[in-house]
Amino acid sequence: MVTKEEIEHVSKLMKIEITDHKEYVDKVQKILDYFDVLDSAGVESEEISMHEISIINLREDKYIPFNDKLIEKLNHYKGTYVRAPKMSS
Amino acid sequence: MNLKISALDFIQEVKTGNISAEDFVAKTMERIKNVDDKLHAFLSINEKAVDQAREIDKKIKSGVDVGACFGMPISIKDNICIKDSNTTCASKMLENFIAPYDATVITKLKNQDAVFVGKVNMDEFAMGLTTEFSAFGPSKNPWNLECVPGGSSGGSAVSVSAFECVASLGSDTGGSVRNPASFCSTVGYKPTYGLISRYGLISYANSIEQIGPLTRTVKDAAFMLNLVSGIDPNDNTTIDNKNTNYLSGIETGIEGKKIGIIKEMIGDGIDSSVLSATKDAISKLESLGAICEEISLEMVKFSVAAYYTITATEAGSNLARYDNLRYGYDFPLEGYEFNSYISKARRNFGPEVTRRMILSGFVPSAGHAGKYFLKALKVKSKLTKEINNAFKQFDLLISPTVPVLPFKIGEKIDDPISLFLIDINTVTANLTGKPAISIPYAISNGLPIGIQLMADSMNDQLLLRAAYALEQTVKLPEVSI
Repeated sequence: MVTKEEIEHVSKLMKIEITDHKEYVDKVQKILDYFDVLDSAGVESEEISMHEISIINLREDKYIPFNDKLIEKLNHYKGTYVRAPKMSS
Repeated sequence: MNLKISALDFIQEVKTGNISAEDFVAKTMERIKNVDDKLHAFLSINEKAVDQAREIDKKIKSGVDVGACFGMPISIKDNICIKDSNTTCASKMLENFIAPYDATVITKLKNQDAVFVGKVNMDEFAMGLTTEFSAFGPSKNPWNLECVPGGSSGGSAVSVSAFECVASLGSDTGGSVRNPASFCSTVGYKPTYGLISRYGLISYANSIEQIGPLTRTVKDAAFMLNLVSGIDPNDNTTIDNKNTNYLSGIETGIEGKKIGIIKEMIGDGIDSSVLSATKDAISKLESLGAICEEISLEMVKFSVAAYYTITATEAGSNLARYDNLRYGYDFPLEGYEFNSYISKARRNFGPEVTRRMILSGFVPSAGHAGKYFLKALKVKSKLTKEINNAFKQFDLLISPTVPVLPFKIGEKIDDPISLFLIDINTVTANLTGKPAISIPYAISNGLPIGIQLMADSMNDQLLLRAAYALEQTVKLPEVSI
């Protein structure tokens, strides 16, 4: 069962402020109940296949000049730095 | 001026001098002004579109080489970056975001002298299948303004269906091109994973999403695919299609081709008129010489749960970058501690995105990953095996694109599970990387029905050939708006 405390914890981890945690208990529970259908898929012994890209096929990691000053597109910046609120003490 | 012509007819008319790109684009912009108050397909308009078309006309007149689009007016889903244009993803979080670069598909279309008439509406960050989750209000279905147009590329489908452009680009993560194409009676194409570069597409679920065209005809979809497909060093998942011409051989028919009817996609919950249209389409394909037989794909019934588990997980990771420091809206820093600022700023995500973000905190977490995320990945693997085996027996697979008709705006908005299940026929192509297309096939009670065909990876040419053959068997009415 999803609890209010779990929603509080997860919303903190996902960095989304939620005012009514209780509202999400039912919503998330309903969706997770639906996801329980995966239990009957009988895939326990299945190998997970992944799409792998060899490192030699990656784009060369090199500097490409960019004409625009990207920093100026930010809401908050100072000089060449992103401005952010203070970290907690 | 006939705005209802196909992309290929538009090009022919401009080439032969029967119409000018400027006149056509000007009429298109007028059409948008006249009908879009009712439809809300567009989030922003390119005020320079007519000037750009005029420049293309000058190139044509002066004998300079002109790109294959000849000034064709195209709309672009608002999660694809056009340099110096708003790219909002229909989210308050990105309301003021101006893209600093062009997506690869945009560069390719610019090189071919396309004219972008505007950016079109979508579900916020492409999370939804009705366009009701746009932060800027829903788009309306031009066939019935009380109904949803499908989604998440709802604005794309509406703009093509209502003659506000000739073609559009959308993105398809679980059916987001095909579903609105079906609901609005346009062609919607989801290519083989990797065929079109995702560079400049704002990510939602990278491992399965693809950009795809929405057009009036199958040939137009093949033409658009010719323009935007191919390998891209900026997207390492792209594949070399060796400059395949997808229009080549499109009229050669499907005689002798074996088509599998996916049993699980015509079962419980299907609308009777959708089932009847599907059976009719199968009969038509048989009359064209195809051999149709039923096939069972056991994993399909688990595909929606697997899809939402995987996409929520990837979305949680992708959307972590929206901290309102690098991208975001005007929200002052003063008075906040770092984490509380980000949490507060992220309240601007809409309800569906918030719900999926919360979900993304659950399904891959230490306590739940084995039950949800890992199992979903295993379902994806097994489904891929099943479908690969199916393509050893069959050349193509068929189903309705969506099991239901377009429904009323607001009807299902509070019932996520019933919304999820609308994706049952489309998510398989995304989870397995296969190409799939929705072809407008019937109108029932004034509402469109689309038929979906699916092919094996890199068999896009055959898929378009079969879709063209089916398209030629029907003559549908035009939307009356």
